[in-house]
Amino acid sequence: MAIELWSQTFVNGINIGALYALTAVGLSLTFGVMKILNVGHGEFLMLGGYLAYWLLTLFKVDPFLSLPLVFIALFFLGAIAYKLFFSVLSGYPEEQKVKNSLLVGFGLFLVIPQIARLLWTGDERGITPAYSGSSFPLLDVRIAYVPLGGVILAVIVIAALHLFLKKTYFGKAVRATSENWKGAKLTGINVDRTYLITFSLGTAIAGLGGVMVGLTQSISPDVGMEWTLKALIVLVLAGIGSIGGTLAAGLTLGILESVGAIFMGPYAVVLGLVIFLLILMFRPQGLFGKA
Amino acid sequence: MLQVENIDVRYSDLQVLWDISLEVNEGELVSLVGCNGAGKSTIVETIAGLVTPENGRIVFDGEQLNGTPAHRIVERGIVLIPEDRGIFPGMSVRENLELGAYTPASRKQSKDSFEFVYNLFPVLKERHNQTAGTLSGGEQQMVAIGRALMSKPRLLMCDEPSLGLAPIIVKSILKVIKQISDSGVSILLVEQNLKASLSISQRAYIIENGRVATDGESSCMLDDDSVVGAYLGTC
Repeated sequence: MAIELWSQTFVNGINIGALYALTAVGLSLTFGVMKILNVGHGEFLMLGGYLAYWLLTLFKVDPFLSLPLVFIALFFLGAIAYKLFFSVLSGYPEEQKVKNSLLVGFGLFLVIPQIARLLWTGDERGITPAYSGSSFPLLDVRIAYVPLGGVILAVIVIAALHLFLKKTYFGKAVRATSENWKGAKLTGINVDRTYLITFSLGTAIAGLGGVMVGLTQSISPDVGMEWTLKALIVLVLAGIGSIGGTLAAGLTLGILESVGAIFMGPYAVVLGLVIFLLILMFRPQGLFGKA
Repeated sequence: MLQVENIDVRYSDLQVLWDISLEVNEGELVSLVGCNGAGKSTIVETIAGLVTPENGRIVFDGEQLNGTPAHRIVERGIVLIPEDRGIFPGMSVRENLELGAYTPASRKQSKDSFEFVYNLFPVLKERHNQTAGTLSGGEQQMVAIGRALMSKPRLLMCDEPSLGLAPIIVKSILKVIKQISDSGVSILLVEQNLKASLSISQRAYIIENGRVATDGESSCMLDDDSVVGAYLGTC
């Protein structure tokens, strides 16, 4: 029995860890490139979840098929939020920018859940397509289809983001902007537009995470901050701006929490915070970040 | 080609440029000389669109430039190598150069531009995969110049290209700038090193406390002991 328990725990850890990584990668992108720490990141995740819920219940759109729609919708929502609330920060010096972005993000955290409560009430909603409970056996463990879909999605999104930043001209411009925005301007890069697209890409990916959260757990108006906090732990663990590291760090956190739950029960959540503190104390650049 | 007409620039309450007028003609190498803090960097940053002038006009090829954002000014063919070089330290030499040809027009010619830059600086070809931040100061300046050339500029502005470099490297950097000028690119060169910059330029403006103090032929200034005497050793 021991082996089965361990391997099942391990699989569960990977499932949840992939979602942590998916949530964190958008935050890592905006913080790494723009030095904007959007603590309202989880609110966009929540909105993405509700959107998929609507698409399923009102229009019978399969949640996995709704992913591209949610991506596009949250991209534009992010663009609007950036234009309205964050773009004024872009001219500030770095430290002031981080501090002020915290306030703006916190404002989103206060307002967006209330809007969600008006639209969808405070009830917890799950996204439950017909296949949501099914699974298949693999060796000693059962693999559920939906969480497996989440892991695949996370891997695809993170790999795509990595390739986008490494290989495409625009991706290189994004990296250049994060390294030296003034230098970027002087090579002809439209820095304001790069910021806008980067931020929107972050919220769009958060929206994808929201769909998976709705599928594997549940969405409620207050679910956002919980995921922002997880994303922050992963961000610190991985190191700022390390896209590939985010996947590894997310999986690490997921597996640790899920293994920890065997010994500590519900207190396993504390593990993440302990890691957060230990990393900040002993390796502040993160496991995969540069010193 | 470039006319700067009576520009005033202020940083909030502090006015740093007063009624600056200057011009650069096609193919010319013009230097801006003057002491630290005289406002030379602000002049080129204003032309590059990083700073907006309060009054006055900047005209390039008969079109008004002020109010145009920096990235559009690059598309017009004016590129600035800033004092801190502005390179991307975490990216490879090749990627730095690639981004120099970011504007659509220059991207089409990037193959030729790469060849041109690698010919000018063979060491960059050898080190094309190296992270730019790990290069020596002189090599980083080569990356900065190379990146600027990738955009196929018609007017190249260099802000203190010799800053912090060993004398022998300064010599070779200035030689390269002369070479670029000979290839037909107009150059506006900011230098504290009065003698060196006067000796490679055709005309010069001396900037003092945010104003144009004198301007004229570089060779005349170099021969005029009163100019060299007044500005050499006082900075």
